[in-house]
Amino acid sequence: MLFTSLQFFAFLPIALLVFAASPARQRWIVLLLASYVFYGLAQPINLVYLGAVTAVVYACGRVIARAEPGLWRRLVLSTGLVLVLGSLLAFKFYDFIAGELSRVVGQMLGEPLAIPHIGVSTPVGYSFYAFSAASYLIDVYTARLPKTAGAADVALYVAWFPKILAGPIERATTFLPQLWEGLRANPDRLVLGLQLIVWGLFKKVVIAENLAPLVDRNFKIAAFASPMELLISVYFFAFQIYCDFSGYTDIAIGISAMFGIQLMENFRRPYLARSTTEFWGERWHISLAQWFRDYLYIPLGGSRAGTVRRYFNVMIVFLVSGLWHAGLGYGVGWTFLVWGALNGFYNWVGLATRGLWRRLGLLLPRLAASTPLWVLRAILTFHLVAIAWVFFRAKSIGDAVTILKKIATRLPELPGLIPNYPFTTEHYLGFGLILFLLAVEIVDEGRPVLQRLQSSPVWLRWSASYAVIFALLVLGRWGTKEFIYMQF
Amino acid sequence: MRHLAKSAVLFLGIGLALYAALFYAADLLVYRTGKSNPFYKIAVANQESFDWVILDASHAMPLDFADFNGFMEKETGLHIINLASPGSGPLYNRFVFEQFLANHRTRNLLYIVDSFAFYQPTWNEERFTDAKLLGRTPFDAMIARRLLSYCLHEDVDFRALLDYITGFSKINNRERFERDLWEGEKQFDRVFRPSPAMTKSRISYLYPKPPTPAGLAHYLQVFDGLVTLAQQQGIHVVAIKVPVPPEFQSQIPSEAEFDAAMNGLLGKRQVAFLDFSGALAESRFYFDTDHLNRAGATEFFETHLKAILLATAARQ
Repeated sequence: MLFTSLQFFAFLPIALLVFAASPARQRWIVLLLASYVFYGLAQPINLVYLGAVTAVVYACGRVIARAEPGLWRRLVLSTGLVLVLGSLLAFKFYDFIAGELSRVVGQMLGEPLAIPHIGVSTPVGYSFYAFSAASYLIDVYTARLPKTAGAADVALYVAWFPKILAGPIERATTFLPQLWEGLRANPDRLVLGLQLIVWGLFKKVVIAENLAPLVDRNFKIAAFASPMELLISVYFFAFQIYCDFSGYTDIAIGISAMFGIQLMENFRRPYLARSTTEFWGERWHISLAQWFRDYLYIPLGGSRAGTVRRYFNVMIVFLVSGLWHAGLGYGVGWTFLVWGALNGFYNWVGLATRGLWRRLGLLLPRLAASTPLWVLRAILTFHLVAIAWVFFRAKSIGDAVTILKKIATRLPELPGLIPNYPFTTEHYLGFGLILFLLAVEIVDEGRPVLQRLQSSPVWLRWSASYAVIFALLVLGRWGTKEFIYMQF
Repeated sequence: MRHLAKSAVLFLGIGLALYAALFYAADLLVYRTGKSNPFYKIAVANQESFDWVILDASHAMPLDFADFNGFMEKETGLHIINLASPGSGPLYNRFVFEQFLANHRTRNLLYIVDSFAFYQPTWNEERFTDAKLLGRTPFDAMIARRLLSYCLHEDVDFRALLDYITGFSKINNRERFERDLWEGEKQFDRVFRPSPAMTKSRISYLYPKPPTPAGLAHYLQVFDGLVTLAQQQGIHVVAIKVPVPPEFQSQIPSEAEFDAAMNGLLGKRQVAFLDFSGALAESRFYFDTDHLNRAGATEFFETHLKAILLATAARQ
C-alpha cells in the first residue's frame, strides 16, 4: 500500500480510530495488525519474508540476552546477522552476479555458461527492515537495550508500517522504550502529524512527481538529448530523489506521531550542506549514515585506527552504501559502486582539507562564517553530489559518462544558450518548485517552519495549510506507482 | 480536546467551501476549453433533435475532426452529432447514449464497430476511470446517478464515481487551459508512411490479451443492450466498419470470428452491418496506423457514408 493511494487514505483513519478506541494495553495489537495489513495487502507473500526476519531476530536476540558472554553468544549473533543480511545480499545480488559471471566466464570459455538464478526480486522494503532487524540484534548483543523485548515488541519494531517501506531505519533503543512507556494519541502530535503528512505529500506528489517525467525522458535517451536538457535533468533529479525520499520520511514521521510514536529525523536540509562530509554525516539519510557509523565504521576502527586505516574505512563504508543502494527502480549495476566510490573520494578530499578550513576559521573568523562563503560552499557541495547522482540514476556507467561529457564539453556555451532556450511549462514549473523548496529550507535552517507557524496567527497558519493542500489537488501527480527508495 | 475539535470543524468547513469554489471554477473551465468529450457535446448541443448520432472509439473521431462534421451536415442537410471517444467500447458508448437520450432525440444511430473494443474491460469498464475523460466531462447530477448505477450493476470501479462527484480529475487536470483536442486531430492533414513496427505495436496496444470467446460474448451482450435501447425508442440503427489500412487489417486477431458473431447478433436485430474496412487501401488516406486523415475521411464520406446517411434519412 502506498502513502499516495486512495486505499491508504481510507486505511489510516480506520487504523487511528481503532487505535484510539482500544484499551491502552491492547494498542500494540492494533498497530501490529495494521502493519501486517499495510505490508501484506498488495503481496501477501511479503509477510512470509517479514515473519522470517522477525522470527530469526527474536529467537537469536532471546538466546543472546540469556547467554553468558563468550563464543556461544558471538556464534548466535553471527548466525542471526548472516541469515538476515545474507538473505538481503542474496536477494539483491545473487542473480546479478550469476548473470555477470555467466557472461564473463562464458566469453572466456567461448561458450555460454548457465549459472542458475534465484529469480526472486527483493521484497519491497527488505533493505530497511533487514537493517533495523540487524541493528536490534547488535544492540541486544552490546546490551544497549535496557530490557529484553518480547516477541510482540520485536514484531512491531520490525514491521511498524510507516517506516517499513523506506525507513527511517529507527533503532530499537529509541523505538522500544516508547512502546514500553505506553502509547497514547496526543492532540498536539495529531496536528503535527497531519502537517508533516501534508508536507511530505507535497514534496512527493507535487515536486518529485513533476520533476520525474523530464528526468526519465532524458536519462533514457542520454546519447541523443541536448546538453542543456541533460543539465536540467541532472538538477531536477537531485531534487526529485530528495523530495521523493524525504517526502516519504516526513509522511512516515507524521503518521507515527499520530499514533504517539516518535521516529528520528532522517533529512536535515541536505542541499544546504557546506561539504560532502556534512551532507552524508549530518543531513542526508541520517538513519542510514548512523547505522553505517555505529555498525560498520566504528567496528572497523573508525577514526582512531590511524590515518591510512581511517581513509580505508571511509571508502569501505561508502562502497557498502553503494551496494546497499543498488537494486532500486534503476536496477542493479556497477553504477552504484561507482556512485559509492565517488562519494568516498569526496569524503577523502573533505578529510584532507578539514585542517585548512579549521585554520581559515582561526585566521579569518569573519570570512569563514560569512554568508557568501557559506553559499559558495553549499553550491559547490550540491554540484559534487549532483555529479555523483548521475551514476546513481543512469542506466550504465557508459550512459553516466556520456551525460557528464556532453554537459562538460558544452558548458562554456550554456550561459549563452539560456536566453534563447525554448523552455517549456514543464521546465518553469520544475524550477519554480525547486526555488520554492529552497526558500522554505533556507527559512527552516534558521528556525523550523513548523515552529514558526505554530507561533504565528491562525489566519497565516491556516492559509499556509490550505495553500499546500490545494497545491496537492491542483498540481499533484497522483498516478505514482512507487517511492524510489522503497525499491531498495 | 473540545477546542481542537471546534478548530478542526472550522478548518474543514472553510476547506470545503474553498474546494467547492475550485470545483465550480474547474467545471467552468471544462466548458471554456471543451471540444471532443461526448458529454460536453451533449451538454452544449444547441438542438434537441438530431438525424444521426455516431458512436464508437477513435476510428469514428476523424468524422468530427476540425470542421468535418459541419462539412457532412452541409453536404447532406442532416443534423449529425458525433459522440465517439478514444478507446471506448460498447459499455462506455451505451453510457454516453443513455445520457444523450435523456434530453435529446435522434432518428438514427450509426455505430462504428471496432473488434478490439469487444474483448476487454480495458476498453469498457476501465474507461470510466480514465482521468482524461473524467477531466473533460462537465458535472451533471444525472450523469452522477447513472454512473452510480453502472458502478452497482456493470462492474465499473467506484473510484470513477468518486472522481466524478468530487471533480478531482478536472481540478487536477494538467492540460486544464488547453483545448480538449484528441492528439489525432492535430495530425488530421498528415499522410502516414506505413511502418510495420508501429502497426504491430498499435495492434498489441489495442489487443493487449488474446481475444476470448467469453469476452466477446459478454460485450456483444452489452452491445445488444445498446441496440435494443435504440430500437425501443424507435431509432434506426446501422453498424459499419470504417476503412483501415490493409497492413493493419491483416494483423487484427480473430477478425473472421468477430465478424461472424457480430453478423449473427445484428441479423437477429435486423440491423444492417456494412464492412468498409478494406475500402481504402492506399496509405495516403491515413494519418497514422489506422485512422483516416482528411483525404481519407472525405473519400469515405463521398463514396460510401454520404449515401448511407442520406438513404436512411430519405426512407424515414
